[in-house]
Amino acid sequence: MRFKFQGLIVNIIVFTLGILSLLAPFMLPQARNSDFSNASFPIIVSLIIILCVLLTLFEIQSAGLDNKMVAFLGVLIALNAGLRFLENAIPGPAGLSPTFFLIIIVGYSFGGRMGFLMGAMTMFVSGLITGGVGPWLPGQMITAGWVGQSAGLLHASLKGSRWQGKPAEIVVLAIFGGFWGLLYGAIMNLWFWPFLAGASGQTWLQNASLAENIGRYSAYYVATSLIWDVTRAVGNILIISLMSRAVLKIFTRFDRRFSFQVNQEQTQ
Amino acid sequence: MTVSATWVAWLVASLILLLSTRNPIYLFVIIILLFILGARQARRKGRHGWVHQNLRFTGTMLILSALINTLFTHTGQTELFVLPDEWLLIGGPFTLESLLYGAVNGLVISALYLLFDVFNLSLSIKQITRLIPHAFRPLTVMTTVSLTFFPAIQERTRHIREAQMIRGNPMEKISDWLPILAPLLVGSLEDALLLSESMTARGFHARNDQPDNRLVLVGLILVVFAAFSGWLLRLFAYPTWISILLYSLGAVVLVVVLATAGKAQHVTSLHQDDWRRQDELAFTLLMAAGLGLIVTLVTKLDAGFSYTPFPRLDLPEVTLIGLCLSLIPGIPLLFKHHD
Repeated sequence: MRFKFQGLIVNIIVFTLGILSLLAPFMLPQARNSDFSNASFPIIVSLIIILCVLLTLFEIQSAGLDNKMVAFLGVLIALNAGLRFLENAIPGPAGLSPTFFLIIIVGYSFGGRMGFLMGAMTMFVSGLITGGVGPWLPGQMITAGWVGQSAGLLHASLKGSRWQGKPAEIVVLAIFGGFWGLLYGAIMNLWFWPFLAGASGQTWLQNASLAENIGRYSAYYVATSLIWDVTRAVGNILIISLMSRAVLKIFTRFDRRFSFQVNQEQTQ
Repeated sequence: MTVSATWVAWLVASLILLLSTRNPIYLFVIIILLFILGARQARRKGRHGWVHQNLRFTGTMLILSALINTLFTHTGQTELFVLPDEWLLIGGPFTLESLLYGAVNGLVISALYLLFDVFNLSLSIKQITRLIPHAFRPLTVMTTVSLTFFPAIQERTRHIREAQMIRGNPMEKISDWLPILAPLLVGSLEDALLLSESMTARGFHARNDQPDNRLVLVGLILVVFAAFSGWLLRLFAYPTWISILLYSLGAVVLVVVLATAGKAQHVTSLHQDDWRRQDELAFTLLMAAGLGLIVTLVTKLDAGFSYTPFPRLDLPEVTLIGLCLSLIPGIPLLFKHHD
């Protein structure tokens, strides 16, 4: 109960501050000031986000990350990082990636905390392997973490419903994957967008309404990222539709095998 | 220069420099230095490949950034051509000032990318992993497990793929991934099960070994709020010292909290960085240069860091202080390279 409450508080703080930081140029005219809308904006936002990621990771770790979970997730993360290379083995259109599939299925099968860890740590380990450690990494970690965490919420909301174990469950998961395929790109663009934006009163209109700035952001998004994100969304839908049933069965089987308990008194 | 701390000092000093300047001449100097340093650090991985790849990236970023800014921003006095006003968002005059502003953005992005690329080249994966604070020991173990299993999983993927191809699987469609993924997943989870049993048998990290971390958690929440409030107050033009105070307070709390939580973890360091004479020299030089940069920024000495082509196109100003400070990313070039 304590860990549930603690987790809830931390997640509310992290989600609110993370989203407020990323959406600041939409909501606060001050954030469109040229001093902040250029190089410093992504770095300061990255700093806030890395602190949010640390907070969430520490909370999850404190809530009981035992050696079984460490080994289980460690291997799955290595596998998921390896799946990024599978993209090269079986060529597909740009943006298509099997990485999100496993993050979603882990979050859906083992809950939000495991989902967050799977998403965030996959990005971190991939960054280490590919030499991709940079200011973009905290944004990737938190967004991929949210993908896994929200998959846990999806499972909680479907729990006990008549859709569970039926084809409708896969359809819901596929739609969820498609939705995140688009949203992931949009969130990552929020971080990057002020880099490419002009000085104050230009690309970000300092006195413009929220709707007008959303319009400008949308134009930028359509021009630079939409095709890429649509491909990722379609890829997620296809991969989840074709593979999730088999992978969910494998996870159910291993969930039982991983649930061995250690008798502390005997081990001491 | 081989010690992680020296490279972290180099990264921080160069990052502060990059965030402080929009002068294209300084940015060019920084990028050239990063290319020279990167080419030296990439010696083992293929110097030519690294340089070509990053030249392509820099060129693409320059062009893309300049084009996007010109397309959406219609401010400036030097008109290149005009599109009808009724064309949604892109209609209006296309100006040289916007083009240049976008190109400067492209230079900043390229320099930032190169900076982290050189950092990744200079430190091994183990060194970067060791930078994770001890307070996150279970996550560090998880990262180490992933990095250890990664080559084996790659090898297993290759074997399964070859076996599937021998059986006639063409490996052309997404549905062809499942015969690879399913055995790969089962095999990997069997490995994870064995590993977790071995760890349990050796008494590693039972769940109730974890100390009560509520205070640490509260400390971390305070750090996040301090950073966020400092940024917000700066946005609303409150005196800079309040933000600096909040950032400093946050930094102190973060260090204390991580040190306290780290002490509770029993970590054995098998590999320690070997501080050589030149690492000490480089570290001292980088700290001095970083301090000089911060003093220049705080006292608002005229270093010619700021530049904007608006409202009128002018040549960027270059000062001796600014030029000297823009050499910070090149400091490692003064020292002998070690693989």
